[in-house]
Amino acid sequence: MSNVVLQASKLTRMFGGLCAVNEVSFDVLEGEIFGLIGPNGAGKTTLFNLVTGMTPPTSGRLTYRGQNITGLRAHRIAALGIARTFQNIRLFGNLSALENVMIGQHLSATTNTVSSIVGLPASRREENKTRDRAYELLEMVNLLSKADDKARNFAYGDQRRLEIARALALNPQLLLLDEPGAGMNPNEKAELSTFIRQMRQQFNLTIVLIEHHVPMVMGLCDRIAVLNFGLLIALGNPAQVQNDPAVIEAYLGD
Amino acid sequence: MIEFLTNFLSTYGFLIVSMTFSAMLALSLYLPLMTGQLSLASPGFYALGGYIAAWMSTELYPPLATGTTFPIPSLFVEMLIAAVACAILALLVGVPALRLRGIYLALATIAFVEVLRVLSLNLDVTGKAIGIFNIPQPFVTKIEYLYISLPMLIVCIIFMYRLERSRVGRAFRALREDELAATAMGINPTYYKVLAFMMGAILAGMVGAVSAHFLNTWNARQGTFDLSILVLAYVIIGGSRTFWGSIVGGMLLTALPEVLRAVAGIQGLPPFLTGFLTEGRLIIYGFLIALGTLFFPQGLITPEFLRRFARPPKASTPTKSKPLQTPST
Repeated sequence: MSNVVLQASKLTRMFGGLCAVNEVSFDVLEGEIFGLIGPNGAGKTTLFNLVTGMTPPTSGRLTYRGQNITGLRAHRIAALGIARTFQNIRLFGNLSALENVMIGQHLSATTNTVSSIVGLPASRREENKTRDRAYELLEMVNLLSKADDKARNFAYGDQRRLEIARALALNPQLLLLDEPGAGMNPNEKAELSTFIRQMRQQFNLTIVLIEHHVPMVMGLCDRIAVLNFGLLIALGNPAQVQNDPAVIEAYLGD
Repeated sequence: MIEFLTNFLSTYGFLIVSMTFSAMLALSLYLPLMTGQLSLASPGFYALGGYIAAWMSTELYPPLATGTTFPIPSLFVEMLIAAVACAILALLVGVPALRLRGIYLALATIAFVEVLRVLSLNLDVTGKAIGIFNIPQPFVTKIEYLYISLPMLIVCIIFMYRLERSRVGRAFRALREDELAATAMGINPTYYKVLAFMMGAILAGMVGAVSAHFLNTWNARQGTFDLSILVLAYVIIGGSRTFWGSIVGGMLLTALPEVLRAVAGIQGLPPFLTGFLTEGRLIIYGFLIALGTLFFPQGLITPEFLRRFARPPKASTPTKSKPLQTPST
């Protein structure tokens, strides 16, 4: 059996009186593509924020490869190899695409602050390595020709791909994609599915993704968790989830 | 020619050195701004550095024999101690204060400057309201202070140039652009914000130490809220997205009143204009600041503006169609 990469147990987050995530428990296994679906306001993005340390959980426990990461700050969690993208794209808009991806490699530096400012040879070599790697990643998402353009001037789809390149720059082992296909037409979504599979292969990734488009989720994900009003109402492979009465009710109503 | 130059330097020596100080004070505010922190604390550290130098040179060092100048190495020692003291104070103030954002941080840092000012008005060691005067001079004329301030400015420029292109500078700018996204990249926001704040404090303290000698006297009127606003104006007018903006802004705005005074002195101008240029130069000054913010909201110097002068970037030769290497970790 595969190893458990990420484990949530009875994870809860309250916002005032609203329970955005309510005692949610699940395991994400090594190398799988794990889908997270549910109607608007179901708590999917909040769950991402909990996993990446951007929102501390009210109660419950998060474990990453056996290590307790509950309540760790976001930059510490990123350092463990968990990268993410955002639903409302959050690029560094005034910086170039290249700089965005170079910032994504922040953690891979081995030289210290002083050496990097003074420009010691080791830091310069590292700087060149960082730049080359950034070009590679940009080429992978077909943005090489726009490397020097400001991120904020990019078309929507390009921004989405740049954000993925930036997340990959962290060399993550677990990648969380928050609605990577938002605003794309079915053809583009099919391409995106192929791209996500290829990414998993190439980087040995475990991927958790939020997506609304049911055909894409069903075709892409190994397992799917369904949230509704903060509760986990179903968890299983696409066929199981598709036929679950609770899921049908949540999506279609009575 | 030589005579003209000597005249010029003796007339404008004070101004030219002041311009270099202003440029560095502007940089000290620009540094925390690189991480998106609007801190107006620079004048507080400037005042502290000045008091350290003033106190050391008047109380600690033996009095100078008449006709001798203050030894330069002693001045370096003062600058070093001012830098260390400001770094420690910045660490103590920065860790709690940098939890605040935007205008709230600005208010907290104004309060910090006020606290230091009121303290210096009431402590014996700072000479209370009178301050510390007769600070010994390392140089005979004011223009000679350029021997200290110009190398300092050049070192600052090299430092800032390197910083903006380094991993640390990128982390600063990432925090300024989007703090949440920056933390998702593994950037520790507290570390880099406090680091930038400390760099600014150290620079302001060292400038203060030299300024105390330069101005000959140091009191609670140095490093006040007024200076906070002035330094902020340097950065805003000059341009807050590249360090060149701070330097140009600081120099231009410091020179401006004197330039207006010189223009008023031109022969043959109608009397009302001469009168306005001499009496009303602060009005003109304010007016230009207002115009500047209206027509150059990004400041005079922007990264786009600089790019026009930059040599074309090295032809980047990314590895074409080379298959992506799987990361080793």
